[in-house]
Amino acid sequence: MQTQDEITGEFQRPKLNYLNNGTTLKSWLLTKDHKRIALMYLISVSAFFMMGGIYASIIRLELLTPASDLLETGTYNKVFTQHGILMIFFFLIPSIPAVLGNFLIPIMIGAKDLALPRVNLLSLYLYWIGGSFALWGLMQGGVDTGWTFYVPYSTTFSNTYVMAVGLGIFINGFSSILTGLNFIVTVHTMRAPGMTWFRLPLFVWAHYAVSLVMVLGTPVIAITILLMALERVAHVGIFDPSIGGDPILFQHLFWFYSHPAVYIMVLPGMGVVSELISNFSRKKIFGYEFIAFSSIAIAVFGFLVWGHHMFVSGQSIYAGMVFSFLTMVVAVPSAIKMFNWTATMYKGSISYDTPMLYGIGFMGLFLIGGLTGLFLGAIGLTVHLTDTYFVVAHFHYVMVGGQVIAYLGGIHYWWPKITGKMYSEFWGKISAMLVFVGFNLTFFPQFILGYQGMPRRYAAYPPEFQVLNIFSTAGASVLAIGFLMPAIYLIHSLIWGKEAGPNPWMLPGLEWRTSSPPPTENFLEPPVVTWEAYEFGEDSGLDLEEARRRAAVAPVA
Amino acid sequence: MATHVDTHGEYHPPGLQHQFEDMKQQEESVSIGMWMFLVQEIMFFGGLFTVYLVFRSRFPMAFAAGSNHLNVVMGFANTLVLIVSSLTMALTVYYAQKGNRNMQVILIILTMIFGATFLGVKVVEYKEKYDDGLVPVTGLNRKVKASAGEEHGEEPAKPCWEGAHEEHEYINPKGEFQWHDCSLAKKAENEGFLTPTEKIGYYNPASGQIDANKFRDKVRIYFWIYFAMTGLHALHMIVGLILMSWLLYKAWKNTFSAEYYMPVEMSGLYWHFVDIVWIFLFPLLYLLGRHFIAHGG
Amino acid sequence: MADNHSEEHHHEEQHIGIPGYLVVFGILVVGTILTYTVALNDLDSILFHGANTLVALLIAFIKMSCVMLFFMHVRWSPRLVWLSAVGSFFWLAIMFAFTMQDYFTRGSGVFGG
Repeated sequence: MQTQDEITGEFQRPKLNYLNNGTTLKSWLLTKDHKRIALMYLISVSAFFMMGGIYASIIRLELLTPASDLLETGTYNKVFTQHGILMIFFFLIPSIPAVLGNFLIPIMIGAKDLALPRVNLLSLYLYWIGGSFALWGLMQGGVDTGWTFYVPYSTTFSNTYVMAVGLGIFINGFSSILTGLNFIVTVHTMRAPGMTWFRLPLFVWAHYAVSLVMVLGTPVIAITILLMALERVAHVGIFDPSIGGDPILFQHLFWFYSHPAVYIMVLPGMGVVSELISNFSRKKIFGYEFIAFSSIAIAVFGFLVWGHHMFVSGQSIYAGMVFSFLTMVVAVPSAIKMFNWTATMYKGSISYDTPMLYGIGFMGLFLIGGLTGLFLGAIGLTVHLTDTYFVVAHFHYVMVGGQVIAYLGGIHYWWPKITGKMYSEFWGKISAMLVFVGFNLTFFPQFILGYQGMPRRYAAYPPEFQVLNIFSTAGASVLAIGFLMPAIYLIHSLIWGKEAGPNPWMLPGLEWRTSSPPPTENFLEPPVVTWEAYEFGEDSGLDLEEARRRAAVAPVA
Repeated sequence: MATHVDTHGEYHPPGLQHQFEDMKQQEESVSIGMWMFLVQEIMFFGGLFTVYLVFRSRFPMAFAAGSNHLNVVMGFANTLVLIVSSLTMALTVYYAQKGNRNMQVILIILTMIFGATFLGVKVVEYKEKYDDGLVPVTGLNRKVKASAGEEHGEEPAKPCWEGAHEEHEYINPKGEFQWHDCSLAKKAENEGFLTPTEKIGYYNPASGQIDANKFRDKVRIYFWIYFAMTGLHALHMIVGLILMSWLLYKAWKNTFSAEYYMPVEMSGLYWHFVDIVWIFLFPLLYLLGRHFIAHGG
Repeated sequence: MADNHSEEHHHEEQHIGIPGYLVVFGILVVGTILTYTVALNDLDSILFHGANTLVALLIAFIKMSCVMLFFMHVRWSPRLVWLSAVGSFFWLAIMFAFTMQDYFTRGSGVFGG
């Protein structure tokens, strides 16, 4: 595999790997290599994250003062809409599957590539095309409908670039569908000999579940956007109650996808966390089958609860009760995962490396986010909390405290594999802690604000809410620094980082049994799998003491 | 492939892609992939079927009235045309597996002819709607100015449920959606099977009578759903024809055989799916109100 | 490994053969004619309200099953394909049922709604 200097212990980069196998622009833009596609996604997704983050900063700046003084209300509407659209459709939904999933799934199952590499490339192109339309719409003047595009505002009254941005999201949806389709096929047909379903890393199980949701749910948002666009153009009235239409129908169709979409966002994060917790506790994950099946359960049950976004919309109370009950049920599989992760850590040999800090952070923050979701799912209590900052805090806890933190954890964990370099552990830990502190300071006050009655999507608020808003904005500043730092030290590591070697963390996973960075065909010899997942036994050949000795001897980056 | 370093030196069967170990793995992958694509297509159309379901359950008589105005002969013919094209498609796969180039080519051409016939009939139908003022978008109907000397309210207007079989003169200066006949609503009122939504939706609250414009609006929603569903279906047919052209080219070059025929099979799956959608669209759009008028209702 | 498949892989290749395909075609044509003629009769007053729709959907279902099982070869396909086909209809059913449960219970007085 990778050659290693006898005396210093330093690794040499493999001469031919996926990064230098073909150096022309054409070899990247027309590549079929899932790893290159993943890298191009990484750059694009990071760009969208930054744009969404800038919008978030503007929101927090405006909310420093009770009056709508930084922006006028119309502009503020555009800012929070665009923050939501960019973050949800162009960052959160693709992030882990398109970057980490694309890169790792073939390697984790011992395959040369995904089953359908050209479909993968098409996915990337569709993402770029959709993103371009959306950005064009944003630059022409943006949209102010809220990321939820509710009718009748979006079809009849809004004077903004709904069609352009809607088209961008529509095209992007097909990128998502094709990624999911590809993963399903790959997991079924491309596993190496010996890689049975129950030897798969839980990262792969999570992505399989996510892919089911992508394929089954995304087409419905596509048709919904199409219907909204047609209504905007033709004004037939299918959503207009004065002519016999029903605005709630739009909401049903919209949330049929958009609720499972939140599971598209969080399930891959949970897959990453399963990897982080087990590997950094050096202990076989507790309840492997439970975690695997709970991913599928979340994917399935996630389709049955969409009405909990519509409790006060005018849907029937009977429907509200059914959805409320099922919302309580869908929390159970997530809770099962929490228990299993905790049990995994118990009596494990935990090392608090940066990825593990993110992993533990996920557990705590997703717990809070998930529990507050139960408040919102309880049909009585939700009436008080709907459309307040409580909702905003809840979904940021699960999406940022959950998904984004899991994404960062995954990036840090697999960075050595992807780039062949180690980043600075010191700065990694500092950033992780800044993110954690900044995040809580930003969003915890919002639970209180919401409970006290501050509505969401408002640029101006009563003066008694100002103190908590100031805390929130202060937290956002810390969080912003915490997010910017990895960008700096990770890029720094590309040039000045230590060579990572094939298995810097000394772990049993299949991805650690090839060089860093891997060759284009992932493995020099096609692997034959004879071990179980997360095998940390004595005979797995991973000497922790040896790893620690090497870490002590090697120069600090 | 120029920038891709291949570490194998083995024989590759024709059409085998580099990421697969053998043809069986490729065939399995392509098959699951196409079925996943069909699953998402089902959900895509499913959204429109949901809209249909919601509106039909709320305004069944408006739907029946609109449906009766569709050209059922053309719809019936189109259904048969698609079924025949499905047969020719299935036979194409059969002959592709046998490596019979000539039969493949003939059958693909036949499939395309039937597909094109379907689209041609749809064009005729759509043109009929345009001529009759049944396109639900203002401005997209045949415009006919009112002739000079005619005023808008000539005689006291008859209630919209009478004179159902009379010909209304077609005056449509703005190209709006036109509907005059609400006799089915009246029939439902008389026989007591209006839905609660209909009891509000069709009626003028002031007079307590069925209001022609309100009924017309619901029929307009029916026609919108008709155009949306058949339009989306027709779009898929067009894509299918493009797919068939590519397949024809490949079959002409004798690409397919017992060893390598999956592209034909997969194209067939897509074609049959489009047929299945129509199998549901025909009764749901064309036949739902026939029993009201068949025995003189 | 790459070449010993030609025989075993295509053992069921012809499936039902041309006569079989023609029989299925016949069933589809008959089904279409049947659905048209039944639609002209008012079953709603003879049987129950909604009977016409039910019969039409049943015939459509049978036609669809013929196309799927025989033309699309689902009958000879691995279980995963069966599961995809059945599963997607199940998902459609979820979308229909959970949406309609709202519309059917509005104004019904159930739970005060």
